[in-house]
Amino acid sequence: MCKKRKNTTKLNNAYFRGVGKQAFPTTLLSFQKKWLDTWRGNPPGPILLIFGLITGIIMSIPIVYVIWRSLSAGAERWIRLLDTRIPQLLWNTLSLAAAVTICAVVIGISLAWIVIRTDIPGKKFWQWILALPLAIPPYVGAVTYIIVFGRSGWTRDLWLNSPWLTSTFGIYPINVYSFWGVFLILSMFTYPYVYLIASAALRKMNNNFEEAARSLGMNTSQIFWRVTLSLLRPAIGAGAILVSLYVMSDFGAVAMLRYVTFTAAIYFQRAGFDTASAAILSLVLILLTIIILWIESVSRRKNKYFQTAGTHRELEILPLGKWKVPALLYVSIIFLFSVLLPISVLAYWSNIGIRMGALDSRFFGFALNSLKISTLTSLLCMLFALPVVYLKNRYPSIISSAIDRLAYAGYALPGVIAALGFIFIFNNHLPALYRTFYMIVLAFIVRFLPQAVQTSEASISLISPRIDEAARSLGCPPWKVLLKVIIPNMLPGILAGGALVFVSSIKELPVTLMLRPPGFDTLAVRVYFEAHEAVYHLAAPAALLIIIASIIPLRYMLSKY
Amino acid sequence: MHAIELKTITKKYPGAEKAAVSNLCLTVEKGEIVTLLGPSGCGKSTTLRMIAGFKKADKGSITLAGNIMSSSNTWIPPERRGVGMVFQDYALFPHLNVFNNVGFGYKDRDRKERIAEIIELVNLKGYEKRYPHQLSGGQQQRVALARALARKPVVILLDEPFSSLDADLRNHMRLEVKRIIKESGATAIFVSHDQKDALAISDSIVVMNHGIIQQKGTPQEIYQYPRNKFVATFVGQTNILKGKTGEDKYSVITALGAIRRTQPHGLKPGEEVYVSIRPDSLEVNHEGQIKGYIKELTYTGQSIDAVVEVIADDNTKLHLLTHIHPQEHKKVGEPVRLEIIPHFISVMPSCA
Repeated sequence: MCKKRKNTTKLNNAYFRGVGKQAFPTTLLSFQKKWLDTWRGNPPGPILLIFGLITGIIMSIPIVYVIWRSLSAGAERWIRLLDTRIPQLLWNTLSLAAAVTICAVVIGISLAWIVIRTDIPGKKFWQWILALPLAIPPYVGAVTYIIVFGRSGWTRDLWLNSPWLTSTFGIYPINVYSFWGVFLILSMFTYPYVYLIASAALRKMNNNFEEAARSLGMNTSQIFWRVTLSLLRPAIGAGAILVSLYVMSDFGAVAMLRYVTFTAAIYFQRAGFDTASAAILSLVLILLTIIILWIESVSRRKNKYFQTAGTHRELEILPLGKWKVPALLYVSIIFLFSVLLPISVLAYWSNIGIRMGALDSRFFGFALNSLKISTLTSLLCMLFALPVVYLKNRYPSIISSAIDRLAYAGYALPGVIAALGFIFIFNNHLPALYRTFYMIVLAFIVRFLPQAVQTSEASISLISPRIDEAARSLGCPPWKVLLKVIIPNMLPGILAGGALVFVSSIKELPVTLMLRPPGFDTLAVRVYFEAHEAVYHLAAPAALLIIIASIIPLRYMLSKY
Repeated sequence: MHAIELKTITKKYPGAEKAAVSNLCLTVEKGEIVTLLGPSGCGKSTTLRMIAGFKKADKGSITLAGNIMSSSNTWIPPERRGVGMVFQDYALFPHLNVFNNVGFGYKDRDRKERIAEIIELVNLKGYEKRYPHQLSGGQQQRVALARALARKPVVILLDEPFSSLDADLRNHMRLEVKRIIKESGATAIFVSHDQKDALAISDSIVVMNHGIIQQKGTPQEIYQYPRNKFVATFVGQTNILKGKTGEDKYSVITALGAIRRTQPHGLKPGEEVYVSIRPDSLEVNHEGQIKGYIKELTYTGQSIDAVVEVIADDNTKLHLLTHIHPQEHKKVGEPVRLEIIPHFISVMPSCA
């Protein structure tokens, strides 16, 4: 590395002397100069750069491949799909995304405001418990709703046994296998995204604005609508983006309830071996995602809010008064549908399952598969995140921010598309690895690396670059600085990222479904299949185990917000 | 052999209009403490970072103890320069205790003894097991200094080391840091924008502005004989007047009349000059030639800063700063007379 530096200096200085007797051709010199300028005179070592570039390439492979595949699918196929499937899919996907987003935002904001700003009894309990649905994967939620409200569900039996209900409302009007069923379930399990971000924003909000409004003669409801809500707009935007991206990428819940959005269509096209059509549908979904991200970035640029710092004071807690009972009722209803119902249904069936011997060696085999795949994924994500954040933070340049952007691409990339990209590549170029354990891990990395990058980035940004320089001046070459100083100090952040990735991997469904080798089942896959065949006593213990594993990082997230 | 030798070093940041440092030449002798003094953006930190090896000079050479560190065909990375560095925020390793911070990167067989010795030197005995967040600001600075000195560096570089300390501690640490560096025998370069730091601690001061050395000299030289208007105004308080040199070698003609120095100014007659009169060279008394009235009074404790408004020869108003003894009771608006004591009057060519 040192040798290379020497070389660069030589070239660089020759350039300044006006180039002359040096043997290097001018183009090479100007390239060297450009290279140095790109890195602001501070290029990283080759190993670090290669690691970063490899990560960037891995992250971009599936998306590039899907786009390329769809563009080479032929005009005829495009026209057929555009005429027949795409309009319906667009309507299904967009209407669902819009409805769920609106509902999740309303629920999330209202809950956050109630449990943070009012004197509702059991404040602390509600603050924690209302974030819990985040630990319940929507496909697990869907299973429990099917058990309760489905065609052979508990409520149906109850309904048909009460002649009064049947005579007034007709024969069982509830149908979970519908738009409204999917809408309700996704809303119940995605509102915590908005709720958590809004709670954090409400806690940080500066009381002075509200006092100013009050001094100008506004009452509580005016203040909420005109001051609080408008200050919450960035939080609402961020939460809405997360929810709408989630809805567009969700496969499990949608597939369980037999509602067809893009992800489900892609999955079933591919299952029918029409990969070209699957690629086309994927491209349309990618474009939708990009449009949403673009709208968000535009609206964020338009609205910049600054909270005046320095004069932060505890927010005033508003007395609910006569609204205490309605507020409590509202919060309890959300709690009932998003936490109590799914957990108790799962507990009930798990209990039956365990007594019927569901925790057999097969079950532990699935659990072990889940554990293996999630452990390897989280270890690799921690490892890959490191060069990405180190480059971005310590060697700022176009190249390092490009790698960083690519590392985040998986965030918005639906699992089915990532899986599709890997199917193309491995099928055509790496048949030896096709449908192996390692292929799933690679696809998982593409999907979940952003979580590891995000937490690592947060922790490296707290380490002053002066710390690196101090270590350098004390005789450590850059790689040693990374090992002896940077990594030990980043460790909590790296581990937190690893934990998040671990849980996401445990929950993951579509990628595993599409890429798993024959006979390789994880807990998530088992939940999907057993629930499909209504063998609930086998699905429930696996689902419960997934939820329990997810609660651990939830604690981390809650402490962060 | 000089401890540090900088030859015509130049650094221009990509995208910047002007060079941050241009054609800077500087030599520092072994054991000397030098301060690079200047306003922010004057290039002092860039110079320091080039010596440490964190920035690469576009041009010129850097030699430390006779070894070329950076030149047109040499580049030694910071870890092999043998330079100790103390950072503004100390940059202590948060995951290591005092002992391991000081011993970081020190691998010789006498590690334990050396660390103990240096911890003793900075008066931190008994704190070896503490972590940086358990230390006060002054203690953190001692650790930073000990860490930089542990490997017996050729040169120790200190980047605004006092700026995050409060005033009391700052005065104390100046003396303490000077003692430690002198005892260790290291050659030191400080970077500071605070003239008090510079005057108190340095053997010599290098005043910089716009990437160029304005003047190098001992603290007394810099204060008493500033070479140009920038140095005169940046170091200490002063009154600057425009003028012309008179026929004899001693006098300068200004709006306040002819001012006669005790020493020759060494300039040709009739040259355009600036005259710098320190507040201490203006005395308020009854015999003074200059008549004015008090415009502003600021009580500082040791003295009172008084701004005196004077009508000059060309009928313009001049505001002159002077110090009054705190026991003297003067009021704003009161007429006073000023006398110029010719000792600390500097005359500088207006083009310098």
